[in-house]
Amino acid sequence: MIQLDDRLLALRGQVREWGADFRALGLALDRDPELIREHFDLPAVRYLSTMGIPPEYGNVPIPIAGNRFYGTLALERAIIMEELSCADVGMLVASPGPLLAGVLIDLLADEQQKDWFYGRMLESPLWTFFALTEPDRGSDAGALSTTVVPATADRPALLSGAKRYVGNAARAQLGVVFARTSPGPLGINAVLVENPSTGFHAEALETIGLRGARISAITMEDVEIAPERFLGRHLSPSRRGMWAFVQTFNLLRPGVAAIALGIARAAHEYVITHRTSLRRDERDRLDLLARRIDGARRLVHLAAAAVDARTGDGYLASAAKVRAAQLAHDATQEACTFFGAGARLEHPVLDKLVRDARGMEFIEGTSNMQKLNLFQGLFTGKLDRDDPFRTAPLAVV
Amino acid sequence: MTTIARADQWSRCHRAARTDGVSAALTELATAVLPGLLPCGPAGHAIVPTGIAAGAARVWADGVTVDRGAGVEKALGVVELPGGDVELLRHQVEPGANGFSPAERACWTLGLVWLRLGLSEELRETAMRYLNGRRTGNSTLLQQQMVKSTVADGLIEHLEVRAVLTGIGPGELPDTVLNHLHAQLTEADRALVKLLGASGYLAGGPGQVARVSELLAEAYCRPEV
Repeated sequence: MIQLDDRLLALRGQVREWGADFRALGLALDRDPELIREHFDLPAVRYLSTMGIPPEYGNVPIPIAGNRFYGTLALERAIIMEELSCADVGMLVASPGPLLAGVLIDLLADEQQKDWFYGRMLESPLWTFFALTEPDRGSDAGALSTTVVPATADRPALLSGAKRYVGNAARAQLGVVFARTSPGPLGINAVLVENPSTGFHAEALETIGLRGARISAITMEDVEIAPERFLGRHLSPSRRGMWAFVQTFNLLRPGVAAIALGIARAAHEYVITHRTSLRRDERDRLDLLARRIDGARRLVHLAAAAVDARTGDGYLASAAKVRAAQLAHDATQEACTFFGAGARLEHPVLDKLVRDARGMEFIEGTSNMQKLNLFQGLFTGKLDRDDPFRTAPLAVV
Repeated sequence: MTTIARADQWSRCHRAARTDGVSAALTELATAVLPGLLPCGPAGHAIVPTGIAAGAARVWADGVTVDRGAGVEKALGVVELPGGDVELLRHQVEPGANGFSPAERACWTLGLVWLRLGLSEELRETAMRYLNGRRTGNSTLLQQQMVKSTVADGLIEHLEVRAVLTGIGPGELPDTVLNHLHAQLTEADRALVKLLGASGYLAGGPGQVARVSELLAEAYCRPEV
């Protein structure tokens, strides 16, 4: 039976409880994304602010049913993300913490870099960013054109270029930027950047939904990068560029799928809460939606367990992300049909859910890109056709 | 009759559907779960290999076992398929039969989803082989992005169905969920058959297998009331 064990069930229960705060603040944050600054004391925000920091760097998260969850596993993150996104995805993505950058740091940074990054994160809640996508190039790493000119005897390395659609960059204090030191796949490096830095500028873009994420555009002109800010400097070039962000995205993708799942569940729950009596056909439609949510959740959890077992095993996560993003879209649209004409105008929460769901289509790669990745896994045999869940340890799910 | 279901039964049935076709997979499932019986759905319909149709002395009607001679039986046709033909029958069981066995029914209905999953996965593989052998310009049809997307959509459906089935024992999923899984597989099949173009419309080929797979759901699923 695919079921979460008691430990993970306790985590889910606790985070669900924390989510009540998020739900109460969701619409207000949608109007003013900076409102999050007044709520750093909420338990979920406090938890997210250090989620992903391993215990050996001093992270001591709140114990839950006698266990400490460091958020270093994709399955834990999937559970947390679904619950908080179901409560309010805007509050989730607005919360400070190491998330994307933290996963990359865990994979790539040397001890000194980890000490520095995690140390800063533990001092106070900080926003971080993960800058890969570029204007006109999307997330095509092969076409990445931001450059980091190597240091000379007279000056440090200099970072120049532009990034776009980067969550929280406008208010982040530190983050990771992918840039080239030379042409070709081995010329890609990740560097740590602090904000403010001379030559670094980030501004938030107005978006239709997911407004808490403060999706931003970044420009960089001769930003000085010290040698110790080159991530993975102790690794070979093949392990610190493209390889690193592919692994990072593999690890994060189940969490993104879980966020979409949470939005779908929020839409379903909204109907249950606000429509006390349902016609037979309406009940059937709602039941069908519940079955779809449950099926998608099983896939998300198996995908998370698979990347936890083997970081390179991101094909299931692509499948889960496509499925969950579509489900978020369908569920939010479907929920509106339960409230008659003008539903989105009369129910701001529903309208927000629809707007937020649309963002799940492109975050961490569009569905088309995920499908191409999935096909590639199937075609090359990297996704096991006979036993696609082979690497997912069913003991925990 | 007592049936002890084991996880490897579903695995064997699923594998047989992928490698040997409808007839072999149905034989595998029926022999394991309902040996010596003619498996019929809630309205008395049966889709079974010729050997099972000929050899069963008793009828299993959606959980109730009766003598085959006790009801009226009508042959509805034979469908030729790769790996062996199947017969379509309807056996009218008189109302009031007792002795319902939920355990057998749970095994049969769960096994049927695994079976159809295997058939659908094999349909995907067949479509990929077919399109990998046809060229357009300097590439194969399989490498066209729209084709890749369709294959991926089918695969996602298969993965979700498998995720729901994995680790599940007989009786642990209600009929509504099993019916939903069947509907997902039918949708996947219909999309994948399109990849075969006109060749998917030929009797005796993969399109016909997909049709029979749909009919299996039609025959054996309880309609939601």
